[in-house]
Amino acid sequence: MSKIFGGIKMAKIKSLADLKKKQDEVRSKLNLRDKADNPESLVQIKVAMATCGIASGAKEIMEFFVNELGKRNIDAVVTQTGCMGYCYAEPTIEVQLPGQEPVVYGYVDSKKADKIIELYIKKGELVDGIIPQNYETIDNK
Amino acid sequence: MVDIAMHMMDIAQNSIRANAKNIDISFVESQSDNELAFCICDDGDGMSSEMIEKITDPFFTTRTTRKVGLGVPFLKMTTEQTGGEFQLESELGKGTKIKAKYMTNHIDCLPLGDIPGYLILLFIANPNLQISFEYEIDSEKFTVSTAELAAEGITDLQNAEISAAIRAYVKENLGELVRIRKASSFLC
Repeated sequence: MSKIFGGIKMAKIKSLADLKKKQDEVRSKLNLRDKADNPESLVQIKVAMATCGIASGAKEIMEFFVNELGKRNIDAVVTQTGCMGYCYAEPTIEVQLPGQEPVVYGYVDSKKADKIIELYIKKGELVDGIIPQNYETIDNK
Repeated sequence: MVDIAMHMMDIAQNSIRANAKNIDISFVESQSDNELAFCICDDGDGMSSEMIEKITDPFFTTRTTRKVGLGVPFLKMTTEQTGGEFQLESELGKGTKIKAKYMTNHIDCLPLGDIPGYLILLFIANPNLQISFEYEIDSEKFTVSTAELAAEGITDLQNAEISAAIRAYVKENLGELVRIRKASSFLC
């Protein structure tokens, strides 16, 4: 029997031993680097997962990022965060490219998430729908 | 919130924000009593007695980014609409325990939802937390925890293929468990 999840066909996994086998299989395929060692050099994506985010479908967005970044071979850390105060624009995500200021995107659906990966994460081009949360003003300087 | 899995993620997010290091999630179903007790226990900052009084008030929140806090009031509402109850114990510096009891034979009982999916996201997103999960129906039990996975050497949780495999593992075992659930339950 086999199951399909995220487009990946896999054998039935019933025990921890099956899981371990799967990890060994995946590890032998690609050289996994320990991401926790140098998170600054990776793309960091934080998905807002408070009441407002969950109710608007943040889970689907987070799953999309985990699956797609894996498929497209982009080294990234996907984590969850609380509400950033933009409940009206949920699901919101914060993307931080290595060495750059974080950027917050609102109204993210899978179409926009795809655009963010292809244009912003891969090429550094800004995509529509940025919520200006982190920008510096003259007053603050 | 349309299902109990969403509540699980929501309440767990509160624990994370309260700087918890360990989060224990448990579901205990009793078929003879038509009950589901959903419990989240953490060792985070905890709350003062004044805060506990205010926590179910939708217009109370500790955050500064907005003026309402709906997570806990929603949970209380969805339990009480089934004739169940909501309990909260908390102590400053020790942690918080939230227990939500649903009557599973009530038509307003929420479905469980995608528990494996949310659980795996919690695992992926919080590599520094110890999260344990257990689901029990009439003393048949399935447990999974980050500690147990780590003890088996399964640590690459951020890898999409491995997280998908863990999800399949949880789903498979939970599916096996709920086969004994009787038809009058509204959980699924």
